[in-house]
Amino acid sequence: MFELFKKSREILGMNARNLTYIRPHNKKRARRIADEKILSKKILKKANIPVPGLIAKIKSERELEEFDWQALPNSFALKPNRGFGGEGIIVVFAKKKSRDDAWIKADGSLVTIEDLKNHIRNIIDGSFSLANTPDTAFFEERLKLIKTFKPYCFRGIPDIRVIVFNKVPVMAMLRLPTKESGGKANLQQGAIGVGIDMATGTTTTAVYGKSRRTEYIPNTRLLVSGIKIPYWQEILRLAVKSHIMTGIGFLGADVAIDRDRGPVFLELNLRPGLSIQLANLTGLKSRLERVRGLKIKTIERGVRVGMDLFGGEIEEELEEISGKRVIGSVEKVKLIAKDNQEIEVEAKIDTGAFSTSIDTELARKLGFERTIDAFEKIDTQQFGNITEKGLGIDKKIKDRYQKTIPNIEDVSITWSSSGVTIRPVIKATFIMDKRRIVAKTNIIDRQNLKYPMIIGKRDLKKFLIDVTK
Amino acid sequence: MQQYPFHEWIHFFANQGVPEETIILLLMMPLIATIVAFFRQVIGIKAFGIYTPSIITVAFLAVGIKYGIAIYITVIAVGMITRTITKNLRILYLPRVAITITIVSLATLGTLVIGGSLQRTGLATVSIFPLLIIITLVEKFVATQIEKGTKTALLLAGETLLIALTSFFIVRWPFIIQMIALYPWSILLTIPINILLGKWTGLRVSELLRFREILKER
Repeated sequence: MFELFKKSREILGMNARNLTYIRPHNKKRARRIADEKILSKKILKKANIPVPGLIAKIKSERELEEFDWQALPNSFALKPNRGFGGEGIIVVFAKKKSRDDAWIKADGSLVTIEDLKNHIRNIIDGSFSLANTPDTAFFEERLKLIKTFKPYCFRGIPDIRVIVFNKVPVMAMLRLPTKESGGKANLQQGAIGVGIDMATGTTTTAVYGKSRRTEYIPNTRLLVSGIKIPYWQEILRLAVKSHIMTGIGFLGADVAIDRDRGPVFLELNLRPGLSIQLANLTGLKSRLERVRGLKIKTIERGVRVGMDLFGGEIEEELEEISGKRVIGSVEKVKLIAKDNQEIEVEAKIDTGAFSTSIDTELARKLGFERTIDAFEKIDTQQFGNITEKGLGIDKKIKDRYQKTIPNIEDVSITWSSSGVTIRPVIKATFIMDKRRIVAKTNIIDRQNLKYPMIIGKRDLKKFLIDVTK
Repeated sequence: MQQYPFHEWIHFFANQGVPEETIILLLMMPLIATIVAFFRQVIGIKAFGIYTPSIITVAFLAVGIKYGIAIYITVIAVGMITRTITKNLRILYLPRVAITITIVSLATLGTLVIGGSLQRTGLATVSIFPLLIIITLVEKFVATQIEKGTKTALLLAGETLLIALTSFFIVRWPFIIQMIALYPWSILLTIPINILLGKWTGLRVSELLRFREILKER
């Protein structure tokens, strides 16, 4: 019970956030900047922080009537100037072919000029602004998705939320839009929040929507952990810079990555949500208290302190002492095909197996079609019945065919839970956790198994395995 | 309420022509508001702000708990149905709420007529003002529905009902009524209590639940 109480003091709750952090640190001027998106865009731009381009703004009914709809690009975001919580935003990603008055929204539905006009009227009336005061609507350039994030998100653009306090980035998460969130990167609406290790910018644990836990992207076998965020330090630098420029003492900075422009600053949040703690499975309060009162002079220093204080030091230290990398029981692996193409798969780390094996289909993709086809033609029966403990059959096959079958290294007989099989062995090259490994790999049909590849003991000498990772 | 002895202040107020029931209700108001604040800050139940649950409690006190709940649920249900109809009309916010209020008013009238025809005269004779208070709840409900979705709106409506019922029973507790009747100044105690609540930075009960995964984490 006492443990629980002590632990609960590490977590930042709504009361403490409002009273201890927002109230004393976010002054009135700062509040105005953050609440008005057009103004914050202007101020950030002046400080040389890249922001999405402003296409047009509409302040009144008259401006709405006179608006030239054909001047809009094929993709854009329509936002209320003083909206909050991601409400009232419409994102379109293409113009409907064969029509010049309709666009396609993130969820695939159509939106016409008439719909947009209605939405803008609602914005001007103040339906989405704090306290329902009259508001301005604006069109903003839509960012382009980078390749790294493409498999992980549904339609929209993921962004990185960084909490900055006292010039130090203290916690961060990657927010991935899902089908449920309608392509929006907002946890309240069902996006995925993935915690990030501050030192390396690699993703860790995740929360799906408000409170569900998840390890995978819904309906896929894609792990959300282990994603390396590109431009990591640059993102932290932008977050700290905006915090200094705007004077928002307790800030939630949202940064996205554009395919052409790199990190782009999206939004300043005065009241960042608390779910970031669930994504990271760590309390925010203890981190905030650690940086309170530190004298930080420069942006670089702040970023450095954040990375040093809140990174996964233990794991790094272990790797330094043993000289071995720490991996989990399932790892992402890049296989190098014969034509030097890279194929990424998830491999099971199997200390119960001696050697590495891969799925037939995967081996074909890697360029071993001819090996497989030739091997399948061999009538293994002629060498005797393999169920009677092998009796050197593997060696006989090897001697006979080594010269005629291309790329074959060896033949192996494998006893597994599903019976005895004779498998061709080839040399496969793969990269796991930055280490390049050339492994004698046997080929077998793994179609009905969860992972297309297992890595056995023989190829794990350079690694330590953490089963909880 | 007449069975309780009154403090001389209350006698004094009553002698000036203020009805006793009004005096007691007004003195209860700070207590109700404090209960709502406690629910928000310590337990973590949001409801529709502080005004709505407080005023609904007062409405329940005036209408009676049975009819109060009946009308409350009618209002929410009709508000929800109307929202799905007006959604496709594509009209602006205020006219939309006006249409919703129209339908809710008619539905409430219908409830009263049905209640009357079933010889439930208690329902038909409730005074109009508490009734109107419950009807205006629909605006809060519709606004939340538009901004945060139906699920959140229903959740908040449920929480509001929960808080209103809790404060209803606390305020109806003979011990409390007696205390206020005998020591009307005791309601001033709500001020220091609220100062404490306003400075409370600990986790709310709902947050202990929300962050249980982190609490379990070693």
